[in-house]
Amino acid sequence: MRNKIPGFLLCTPAQAHDAGERGTLRPSYIEKGIGHLSEMITTGYLNVGQESEKGFFQKLDPRVKVIFLIFFVVIVSLKTDIFPEAVIALFVFLLVASSRINLAQFYKKIAGLTFVFGFLVVFPSAFNIVTPGELILPVIHLSHPYEFLIYHIPEEIGLTRQGVDGVMMLCLRMMNSLTISFLVIYTTPFHRIIKALQVFRVPQAFLLVITLSYKYIFIFAKTVEGMYFARKSRLVGMVRDDEARIWVAGRIAHMFRKSMSRYEEVFRAMVARGFAEEVRLSDIGELTTTDRLSGCFFLLVGIFLLWM
Amino acid sequence: MADIIQIDDVSYAYHDNIPALSRVSMGISEGEIFAVIGSNGCGKSTLLHIMNGLIYPPSGRVYFQGKEVSEDSLRDRTFLKYFRSSVGYVFQDSDVHLFCPTVFDELMFGPLQLGLSRDEASGRVREIMAMLEISHLQERPSYMLSGGEKKRVAIGSILTMNPRVLLLDEPMNGLDPRTKSFLIELMILLNDAGKTLVIATHDLSLISELRCRVAVLSEDHRVEKIGTADEILQDEDLLLRVNLIHEHVHYHGNHAHIHIHSHYLFHRHDRKPDDVDS
Repeated sequence: MRNKIPGFLLCTPAQAHDAGERGTLRPSYIEKGIGHLSEMITTGYLNVGQESEKGFFQKLDPRVKVIFLIFFVVIVSLKTDIFPEAVIALFVFLLVASSRINLAQFYKKIAGLTFVFGFLVVFPSAFNIVTPGELILPVIHLSHPYEFLIYHIPEEIGLTRQGVDGVMMLCLRMMNSLTISFLVIYTTPFHRIIKALQVFRVPQAFLLVITLSYKYIFIFAKTVEGMYFARKSRLVGMVRDDEARIWVAGRIAHMFRKSMSRYEEVFRAMVARGFAEEVRLSDIGELTTTDRLSGCFFLLVGIFLLWM
Repeated sequence: MADIIQIDDVSYAYHDNIPALSRVSMGISEGEIFAVIGSNGCGKSTLLHIMNGLIYPPSGRVYFQGKEVSEDSLRDRTFLKYFRSSVGYVFQDSDVHLFCPTVFDELMFGPLQLGLSRDEASGRVREIMAMLEISHLQERPSYMLSGGEKKRVAIGSILTMNPRVLLLDEPMNGLDPRTKSFLIELMILLNDAGKTLVIATHDLSLISELRCRVAVLSEDHRVEKIGTADEILQDEDLLLRVNLIHEHVHYHGNHAHIHIHSHYLFHRHDRKPDDVDS
């Protein structure tokens, strides 16, 4: 090999001032998107690390938390007034705070989801075209009313009190449901949620599929991150969006191929360890006194909220 | 000689609560071979990622030829081009390193990024393929290569950029003995050609072969010691403490021996009092 070393490897590369390009680099949105994907999956949705904090909710048995989740989401759906929804929001806020979760990050995520999937979707219903009622904020004045298909378009278009109440109610319901769900997910390791679901007789094969999918998301995120770093380490300038799109498409195909071979390997590993269609997961431990007392407390609060 | 890479008091944690590096400082001179050794999970790969400006430490600083490597400095096109062409990173997992359709494209990627003409770039690629004995693979996609071939292609993809510094993350992992000895010869050759090599490894035989300067990372992610290969390899207490060697029981005939053991270097039987009859 010694006599094959290419001559260019013996030359000293250019100094910084000879490098040619000038100016400041702005990474393309696709490039930034690839980089943030892995971080978003691991920290945003899989919540690595949050469940290890020593707060109130983290100490509870996952069965209590899963029952709490279902019970309170039902209560949130049953309430038809804004005031009880606000009381539920306050109660859940106290639970989040007592669990030592980063409040700003937590509620930023909830607010973002509520705005996009709640407020933006139902906001048009606040106008008197959809929800007739007492006009509180006129927006457009027409020369005369119109009839369009099944809609009556009044002369004065604007927000109605009933419409705004409806939007607030739906947004509060969505926010409360999300807060309760995220509180449980943030404070419980995933494998313990899965075990808690056994209590509700969810088929174990189904639970195993969820567990494997969850594990795959981690592997997927790490692979995406690795590919992003490998590319970043060899990029010396700005990449055009069309080039980035071609690369992303190629990587998606590569990931698909890799996924196929990976799940075949996983299945073989399961077979090698005795898997024969029937799935058996390990049992969950006994409830403690704290779990029982907390369960009773949630039951009483729930009954009070239902009575309100 | 001046440090080409300087790490000053760098700490890093994943997701803010999984520590990877704790107050790490070291300097790497131009033209030397420098190894970072430590057990699994001690932060070797993270340190190489930081040296390559792929992630940025929340505390501490990294310098390349005296200029700080940071998110801000790498937005400067001049410095980015110079830094990326000067520091090449060979990833531990060749599957993530290789992202082009064929081996030829893979080796062309770097020089084209540097703005070389196609002719000049393909000339470099052919020379590197000849040196690494992979010319016959040029039209193959990366997923149809063996582990050793992938590693050669990964190194080739960096060499075509002619970097001053090569960062090699666990270069010997999963390779057969012939490929290992090929890579060791290649590393010595590249160093003779003036390249600075930074190697993250837990392979003590590699340190022994390269006779390089070594930084030892402990399991609590700190620099335990920096010294020559001889100083480090002779410090058995240190290697035991950082989990690079361990006490080991095995049999010779009907006798069980307890001794310090590494799969690479230490296999001595100098602890007579511990010998036991089986």
